[in-house]
Amino acid sequence: MDRPMLIVDSHLDLAFSALQVNRDLTQPAATVRTHDPEPVMRSFGSCTVTFPELRKGRVGIVFGTVMSRLDPNDRWTRTGMFCQAQCHGVGRGHYAYYEALAREGVIRFIKNLKDLDEVVAAWEHPAADTPVGLVLAMESADPILDPDQAQEWYDLGLRMVSISHYGTSAYSHGTGTEGGLLPRARPLLDALRAAGIVVDMTHLTDQAFWEVLEVYDGPVAASHHNCRALTPGQRQLTDEMIRAIVERGGVIGAALDAWMLDPTWKREVPAWGQQTKATLETVADQVDHITQLVGNARHSGIGSDLDGGFGTEQAPRDLNTIADLQKLRGILERRGYPEEDVRGVLSGNWIRFLREVWGSR
Amino acid sequence: MPDKPVLIIDGHLDMAYNATFHRRDLTQTVQTLREREDGVATGVSRHPDSLERRKGPEVHPPGTATVTLPEMRKGRVGIMVTTIMARVQAPSVKSHNAVRTQAAAYAVGQSHLHYYRALEREGEVFWIKNAKDLDACVAMWEDPTPETPVGLILSMESADPILGPEDVQAWWDAGLRSVSLTHFGANTYGHGTGTVGGLYPPAYPLMDALRSAGVILDLSHASDLAFWQVLDYWDGPVHASHCNCRALVPGQRHLSDEMIKALVERDGVIGLVFAEQMLNPGRDWDNPATHQPTATRTMSAALEHLDHICQIAGDSDHVAFGTDLDGGFGRELSPIDYDTIADLQRFLDIMRRRGYREEDVVKFAHGNLLRLFRNAWRKT
Repeated sequence: MDRPMLIVDSHLDLAFSALQVNRDLTQPAATVRTHDPEPVMRSFGSCTVTFPELRKGRVGIVFGTVMSRLDPNDRWTRTGMFCQAQCHGVGRGHYAYYEALAREGVIRFIKNLKDLDEVVAAWEHPAADTPVGLVLAMESADPILDPDQAQEWYDLGLRMVSISHYGTSAYSHGTGTEGGLLPRARPLLDALRAAGIVVDMTHLTDQAFWEVLEVYDGPVAASHHNCRALTPGQRQLTDEMIRAIVERGGVIGAALDAWMLDPTWKREVPAWGQQTKATLETVADQVDHITQLVGNARHSGIGSDLDGGFGTEQAPRDLNTIADLQKLRGILERRGYPEEDVRGVLSGNWIRFLREVWGSR
Repeated sequence: MPDKPVLIIDGHLDMAYNATFHRRDLTQTVQTLREREDGVATGVSRHPDSLERRKGPEVHPPGTATVTLPEMRKGRVGIMVTTIMARVQAPSVKSHNAVRTQAAAYAVGQSHLHYYRALEREGEVFWIKNAKDLDACVAMWEDPTPETPVGLILSMESADPILGPEDVQAWWDAGLRSVSLTHFGANTYGHGTGTVGGLYPPAYPLMDALRSAGVILDLSHASDLAFWQVLDYWDGPVHASHCNCRALVPGQRHLSDEMIKALVERDGVIGLVFAEQMLNPGRDWDNPATHQPTATRTMSAALEHLDHICQIAGDSDHVAFGTDLDGGFGRELSPIDYDTIADLQRFLDIMRRRGYREEDVVKFAHGNLLRLFRNAWRKT
């Protein structure tokens, strides 16, 4: 087989895994699994994402999140909070983790076209210590205390934000709720537009999804989102939503959470008590659905969400660690995708998207 | 008795840890936090796609909450020395808030810092970075309103978030004014509570940088060897933000009489901890078999420690509040006549009833810590 292809993963909660789950992400996944106490394994699953695994799978560029939201019901992740000051604290901690990794040379922030081009070039022939490129993203806008703080976050490197997550944020209803944008969403969207931060449509309610597209004319994407036609549920995108994102030039990252891939997955049963039918072929089905729907393969990517509150047990059954994402290449090739399209899905589409957004500024 | 409550400075609280690790919104009343943390009373989302449906084991708060900002205002606890708290230590049942790498400790430290900044932005706290700020805050608390911000002096418990001496200036600029090198276990800089051994070599260049910046060194949580190694090397200001007396309660966590003498000689101030584990003579810190889940002592037990320190010092200039309330324990392990931090005023009444002069009460309540910081900040 040829050299592995560069992969871009558009959604990883790395800082959450390091700080709230308490993992040393510079170790191999197998080592982290020996570190994690049994209650942590039960709760968050077996580790799949660390920097050695990313390197092994040539996942050279990731969107790493800042993740904290208003969510009194979350007694589980230590990221669901009661007030925005708490979210801001947790969020700045996540940023600081990436900052410390950048100082150690483990990652390199990608903030502009030049960074992007240099990181892509470095991953053409990566060395053992080539830093993983990281685009700073935010899942739920709650750590942004007010719209006037959007620029400050941009200056830290923030390039993509989802307005909500689970529950209701300060700005909008999100997954697991019914309702639309809240009054503060509009000034926030204006501030994100002005700062040049992409709006991530993932985790909006149906109502809020369409409201965002109505009031906001800037770039959009869906960082980790599957197709409702294949897996029912509010968490997935309808075909109409997919078309709308693609019309705006957006890219949709396929998520690897079994709950989003496998209609038979039982959410009320712990992940360690069931076996998903989903495989990496099921992930390719998501990519293929979007390709068939819009007539080209230029708007699909990978946004795995691996270790975002679940581990191997709730991932495709043929995935041990994130390094196995390379298997998608062969799967797509066997389905007849030409090399150019395979490259696009694995990395090119997200790279093109960022170039378009940043080049237009 | 004075006609109005005396300003209290608490020399050690872990506010950001409670807010970010235990999800406590400290702008709310203690009553609200207790209701929120009552598992029976709180509802869950029934939406089929809510995260609630896939949650694992829950985060348990460390006991019943007693400290929030409204409660502090009620008890005129107008100034707090409050921590950035993150340490590198293999996590265990007893140290579940420890992290595995210094990068993570830096991140947790920054999260605490930015939580305080968010509170500052909301007007909940008033950040004290120099003598001028300190005087201004004391003046505000002469005649406080229900909205008077609580004065905040930033400290750090375990120096792990400081990635190296070159970072000290940035932490100083951010407001950091007191640092303990160690906490529980052995960290990047040396041995702390529950371990034997001294400082590691990186502690020395770190101390050099802390000294030039003007930071006060906090000797709480130093191992015995580390305590004396620090005093041998360090010629700057010191305190023990939250420590009781080993002569009264056994265990390495507490200060021996020699340690108290040494701190007094440096004009340091010792903060009294209001926790069963630090007040019950039958409880040996180093022997888990003696540890009980509920408190047996009243606040007057802290008076014995106060008295002991005053006897050694020969004056009342070297002891203060350093309660550590809600610092990993709650009302269950706080004095049995204590309910919320507003009750600290009642400790001052206990002092008065025991015959302490009002002048000494005021020194204990705030005067000694004001002197410590004013002296340390004379040049800045």
